[in-house]
Amino acid sequence: MNSSAEVLIIGGGVIGCATAYYLAKKGIEVIVLEKNQIGEGGSSRNGGGVRQSGRDPRELPLAMYAVEHLWPILSEELGMDVEYYKKGNLRLAKTPAHIKILEGLTSRAQAVGLKVQMIDGEEVRKINPHLSDEVIGASWCPTDGHANPMLTTLAYYKNARKAGARFITGEKVLELKKVKGRIRKVITDHSEYEAETVILAAGFESRKIANTIGIDIPMQRVLLEALVTEAQPKMFEQMLGTAEADFYGHQSTHGSFVFGGSSGMDAYTSDYDRPVTTSFTASCICRGIMKYFPELAEAKIVRTWSGWIDECADKVPVIDKVEEVPGLIVACGFTGHGFGICPAVGTVLSELAMGEQPSIDISGLKYGRFKAKI
Amino acid sequence: MAKIIDRSISIGEFIPQPDDDLIICRCEEVTKGEIRRAVHDGMYTMTEIRRYLRTGMGLCQGQTCSKLVKGIVAKELGVPADQLEGGTSRAPVRPVEMKILANESEKEVSKHE
Amino acid sequence: MKRIELIVIGAGPAGLSAAIEAAKTGMEVVVFDENAKPGGQLFKQIHKFFGSKEHRAKVRGYKIGQELLEEANKAGVNVILNATVIGIFENKEITVMAEDRIVHYKADYLIVATGASENMVPFEGWTLPGVIGAGAAQTLINLHGVKPGNKILMLGSGNVGLVVSYQLLQAGCEVVALVDAAKRVGGYGVHAAKVARCGVPFYLSHTIVKAEGEECVNKVTIAEVDESWHTISGTEKQFEVDTICMAVGLSPMSQLLKAAGCMMIEDNKRGGVVPKTDSYGQTSIKGIYASGDVSGIEEASSAMIEGRISGIAAAKDAGYLSETLFQEKVNSYHKAIDCLRQGMFAPENRGRTDLTSTEEGVLISQSLLTKGYVDETEIYRYPGVRTGIKGVHPVIECTQNIPCNPCQDACQRHCIKIGNSITSLPVVDETEICSGCGMCVAFCSGQAIFLVNEEYDENYATVTLPYEFLPLPKKGDQGKAFDRSGTEVCDAEVVEVRSAKVMDHTNLVTIKVSKDMAMKARFYKAIV
Repeated sequence: MNSSAEVLIIGGGVIGCATAYYLAKKGIEVIVLEKNQIGEGGSSRNGGGVRQSGRDPRELPLAMYAVEHLWPILSEELGMDVEYYKKGNLRLAKTPAHIKILEGLTSRAQAVGLKVQMIDGEEVRKINPHLSDEVIGASWCPTDGHANPMLTTLAYYKNARKAGARFITGEKVLELKKVKGRIRKVITDHSEYEAETVILAAGFESRKIANTIGIDIPMQRVLLEALVTEAQPKMFEQMLGTAEADFYGHQSTHGSFVFGGSSGMDAYTSDYDRPVTTSFTASCICRGIMKYFPELAEAKIVRTWSGWIDECADKVPVIDKVEEVPGLIVACGFTGHGFGICPAVGTVLSELAMGEQPSIDISGLKYGRFKAKI
Repeated sequence: MAKIIDRSISIGEFIPQPDDDLIICRCEEVTKGEIRRAVHDGMYTMTEIRRYLRTGMGLCQGQTCSKLVKGIVAKELGVPADQLEGGTSRAPVRPVEMKILANESEKEVSKHE
Repeated sequence: MKRIELIVIGAGPAGLSAAIEAAKTGMEVVVFDENAKPGGQLFKQIHKFFGSKEHRAKVRGYKIGQELLEEANKAGVNVILNATVIGIFENKEITVMAEDRIVHYKADYLIVATGASENMVPFEGWTLPGVIGAGAAQTLINLHGVKPGNKILMLGSGNVGLVVSYQLLQAGCEVVALVDAAKRVGGYGVHAAKVARCGVPFYLSHTIVKAEGEECVNKVTIAEVDESWHTISGTEKQFEVDTICMAVGLSPMSQLLKAAGCMMIEDNKRGGVVPKTDSYGQTSIKGIYASGDVSGIEEASSAMIEGRISGIAAAKDAGYLSETLFQEKVNSYHKAIDCLRQGMFAPENRGRTDLTSTEEGVLISQSLLTKGYVDETEIYRYPGVRTGIKGVHPVIECTQNIPCNPCQDACQRHCIKIGNSITSLPVVDETEICSGCGMCVAFCSGQAIFLVNEEYDENYATVTLPYEFLPLPKKGDQGKAFDRSGTEVCDAEVVEVRSAKVMDHTNLVTIKVSKDMAMKARFYKAIV
């Protein structure tokens, strides 16, 4: 079978699948190589937030474009319910210090045109009556929301595949090679592929692969843990977060709650070849949640999971054509908030791959932006 | 290590079967037909099926259905069932109330509780 | 965080055995179990176990459980119940859920002995109330004294299906059919035979088409299946039932090990996903062991030995047992377990359908495999079945190579010979004179030995049967004799009933039947 294509995408996560979909839809020949299985990394290990609020201004255009133009039609376009809810995001505060953090975030977002505002405890409970009296205020962005990351990834995959994109799973990319000054070869542990354009969207693994062609993206691996409850009666539809990031999450269509959170030790977990849950984080997340939602105390946790965040040095991704290596496009370092922007990222990556001008401003996400501080 | 699977190789058309409405995953009420159709939608691994349909994601966490699901998926793909890797296992292996999981205690568990 | 030298997860046969062995060396051992009672499945096993003396053969499961508990107490094992281990984390840390809290522990060594859970097969109506696991039915009758129903269909002819069918009969339920899609009975022939002679019809090559009922199951339809497991239309049969029991195999409950990161393998012969282990049960993670059903479905007898091996391996590694002593013990345990893994039902033979004769070269009874009992035309080919002997003599209807030899030890007159290989078929030595003591009948875990006296008087013969039903017949009772298929064959009068402590509830009922029925009558029922 032919092992060359116009565009080869490394990574079968939500970014790779979305990009493959937008390319295949335009009739471009695409191969996607995935080391494990579809959506194995961060794509199936995130809280499902589709937020604009709380984002760095450099990636806000992607987030706003996605929320305005892409998310609302995605289920229809992909013929599958991706469980998108545009019911707002509450970022909660329990102390004056929290309020201060939120005010800062809010005014920066307002400055770039996002409709987000500070509200007091009473208003918070009008939006979500299940919240405890400990909540004294929040930032409120009514156009934020959440979706199901696993279904979104698989929906992009299913449609990309249907449109002719060729997915090969179990193919671990070892090396990238230039031929006559351009990227050309992708060498895996079993085989060799060729393409005119290569898009590297392999989460944290991107760094190692990029290194084989002399490219480095400053990022590190940070453990993220989350838990899932059994199905509960419908309680609320907003996406939630907290000023201190003790937890974040939402209630899914199925009724279960998905809550992620941090123990404070996430950056120091052991160096394993797979993400493993720690013995203490889930307990910590539960304590966090119960302060905000006392009535969830009896909800049963059926599962916990963990994943790695590809945390970039300045906490926003690199989405760029790498000039040093013509034909190479990099999309990684999403730092735990790539899911919400995936439709927009897929769109611009498909444009970059086709040599078009990106329709969304990604000028702040360049590969060459990293400099020493003095 | 994951097996190499080219997802573009045809496994044939989805052909309806008389027992497609049989419930396989009781916790999440997923039928045989839904599982078979998911394979034709490109979900070739147990984990992808799980994420696509929620099989084995309910209270029993797949203790009852995972073998059944695996058998159906394997048959649809035309491979022996033992070649399909099962889904991941995760703590807690029994459902735990949030307030209990939150209550980490130094008090050792004794014989007479 | 509290650190314990050895934590055992699961207080079943494997876990307790592991804990005992390790504790005996002086090691600090704690066993956690999520249940309210220890013993795992042992306390519902009311039948006698197979094997030889060292495997506790002819002792009932629940008694083995009691003995294990006593041994554990004596060894200083701390068994903590109602304590659920919900996760194994890095550095052999575990979290235990007890009452309203979570407690963290660390161990130098972890032995995971979490057992197995029951498989299910889906068919139309399988989610109706009344469709339950055979293991669940066994728990109800033997632990809680509750009948799951009155009219029961059993799906599955493996040992679990056969043993539980028999126990349901003992509990007073009616077993309307024993159904299996396989062509051959999966469990021990002797277990099948004792169910068949009670009159339970076997439907091999049959499967359940559907279960029907509004609130709960009240009707079940079965049909024959062809070579490719498709039902053949026109072969449907219906039964009125209130319960369907599924005995379609077990799956190791290996989730804790998988979540811990142990290397797992898919092994159908071991029942599914099991950890990769070495010959001491150690997984790919040093210091984490797996023993019993969690590392591969087998009998409780082997689980106990596996547990003991893991226990001494941990103790040796921790410096509590010298290399020499360890080798000595491990060799004897390996020998004992190898012994159990011999014969036609050895793990390596699981799923084989091509065995046609015994190790001795005797053809295997086809009617046993398809109908659950050895047909009279086939019974005489076995070395335990000898007729025409003067006076009372044993007739041993043991026709498959299973690891078991209590009958040989039972006979002080040396009428019964098995030899060194415990899977060999028992041979009745016609040159030795039977005293008629009946110990072989009582000791046979398969209830496959009968004492026959073809010359009781001019017209009658007597047959002494193992009898485990209540009420116990009395001398002088009149009833009916049934043949191996459960068909009534003639009148029978009870001439003697013997019970003794050593027989452990296997009573000997001697019935008088007409002479021509001596080799036919194998069960007795009172006239109601």
